[in-house]
Amino acid sequence: MNKVNTRIRIAVQNKGRLMEPSLDYLRRCGLEFETEKRSLTAKCKNAEIELIFVRNKDITEYVKYDVADFGIVGQNVLMEKGQQFEVIRELGFGKCDLVVAIPNDSKVKSVSDLEHERIATSYPNTLREFLKKKKISASVIEIQGSVEICPSLGLADAVFDITQTGKTIEENNMKVLEKLASSEAVLIKNPNTKPQYEDMFL
Amino acid sequence: MQIIQPKILKGTREFGTDDMSKRNCVMDTIKRIFSTYGYGPIETPILNPAETILGKYGGEGDRLTYNFKDNGNRSLALPYDLTVPFARYFAANWQQLPLPFKRYQIQRVWRAEKPQKGRLREFYQCDIDIIGTNSLLAEAEVARVITNVFTELGFSNFKIKTNSRRLMNDIFESFNVPKDKAMQSIRIIDKLGKIGEEGVLEELKKLGVEDVKNLLQTLKPEGSIEATLSRLSEYDTSEIETLVSYCKALQIPSEILNFDPTLARGLDYYTGIIYEVISLENPDLGSLCGGGRYDNLCGLFCKESFSGMGVAFGFERIMIAMEERGAFEDIQPNAEVLVTVFDEDSISSSLEIYELLTSEGISAEIYFEVDKLKKQLKFADKKGIPFVIIQGPEEKEKGEVMIKSMKSGKQKSIPLTQLINYLKSYEQS
Repeated sequence: MNKVNTRIRIAVQNKGRLMEPSLDYLRRCGLEFETEKRSLTAKCKNAEIELIFVRNKDITEYVKYDVADFGIVGQNVLMEKGQQFEVIRELGFGKCDLVVAIPNDSKVKSVSDLEHERIATSYPNTLREFLKKKKISASVIEIQGSVEICPSLGLADAVFDITQTGKTIEENNMKVLEKLASSEAVLIKNPNTKPQYEDMFL
Repeated sequence: MQIIQPKILKGTREFGTDDMSKRNCVMDTIKRIFSTYGYGPIETPILNPAETILGKYGGEGDRLTYNFKDNGNRSLALPYDLTVPFARYFAANWQQLPLPFKRYQIQRVWRAEKPQKGRLREFYQCDIDIIGTNSLLAEAEVARVITNVFTELGFSNFKIKTNSRRLMNDIFESFNVPKDKAMQSIRIIDKLGKIGEEGVLEELKKLGVEDVKNLLQTLKPEGSIEATLSRLSEYDTSEIETLVSYCKALQIPSEILNFDPTLARGLDYYTGIIYEVISLENPDLGSLCGGGRYDNLCGLFCKESFSGMGVAFGFERIMIAMEERGAFEDIQPNAEVLVTVFDEDSISSSLEIYELLTSEGISAEIYFEVDKLKKQLKFADKKGIPFVIIQGPEEKEKGEVMIKSMKSGKQKSIPLTQLINYLKSYEQS
């Protein structure tokens, strides 16, 4: 697994909503590879390129540490990490919105009513920044996943999360209070990677 | 019985909790940065044999040194600065110390001044020194520490002015300034900011220095370090060049480090690189930090000579500058949370909540009387405590607490089990 042996390494989500579209995209770029279940890497048959399959939130770390040359990651993750990465393509898939949602029977009418409330999220940095901008003081409850369940359990008064169709929010008896940002998958590049390698991407 | 006036001596100060919180906050930042760069703290005595302090600062300095006979008729003196006590400490201990030795020291010093605005009898000094090395890495490191201190304290437009005493002496020599007049010339040039170019020219002429106009012209800085260096190319500027390259590697922004060949700093023990920090937002405050390379600071206390590099931060001036800027508006001198006592029966449960908060490291206070809630809230308001916790019988029944934000007036009930996380996760905007 020494980087000297492979020319280029691309970090891709190992599971989740971006994985399949990311692989489709790379195939459209002309890369030929096979993915085996449980395998964490895949070598391309027609190029000196290796794919590595890692956790969504680690993709930026692999690129930052110069282990991967490129990574396919959601803008939502980049926002949360707060680090500057060179985005070379917006990929048009994996689209979603970052929203604040509240229970259908909530007394909250606008974002300013979130003052002093509990907001559950997996994106605490993004949420804190938003609250600062809106001058709202609130408790940011960090939850790793399934945040939509928190209000019904009495753990939070609102959630801040990504949503593609709004279905999960509806299913949990909630509604969108405000959309804060939208996101899609992007291709990021390691600053040490030579620019000519970008040419293979559509 | 006669009541004694509760007064303090002129030229001394005392600080209430609000002021001390601000001062501690600044000191903590400064200490943290010092220790990040490997400086360890030391402290030296306040009471000293008079001969330790006297005779080190010239006649004027001696006059301003607090000295007196103690009850045993010994002659004692209080520190006039931290440099001499440090020199004595180092001379007494250098054989046991790892060399080079890096220390910081933040202590009070005393001046027997007639108190007036900006002149106190008792104030803090804040020094760092690296002693036992000639390396310019020490100078560069000190510049990095200075940069961090002022940046972290929120100074957005400050300059570290630097010059080399060696270079200054070279230039004096080329203008045929006699060696015995070099020190006086340096002191005169040091007044450039105070008395202006004309004043300096006149005083230098009076001293008998020739060609003063050209001398001053040679010393004047250009727009950039490179330009100033290239104008001085006939002199040996390698010291400044090396320093600049080290500072660059330490990522000190080039707009912060300014090479100013007119920078003199009056004290005559400097032998190499000297520094002075000014804030362009507070030009009236003058130098906020200064110091330089010295070669024989301990000479009076031991036979060996040690080269060192150190600067003193003007703690009181830094405080004034930050106060002017309104840097302390967010400082919370008191607890974060007030736990109220609802009635006689709920004292125990209030104490339990109080213990829960403090054991989790949340600074809290408990109200000491069973007063009307309104009075308890008023107390929180007066102390600027942002959160108040109320647990009436109804909340207690449900295992909940009411948490009130004094800032917005909003309140909400949450399970007691969520209280710690609620407060720790609170984002105060």
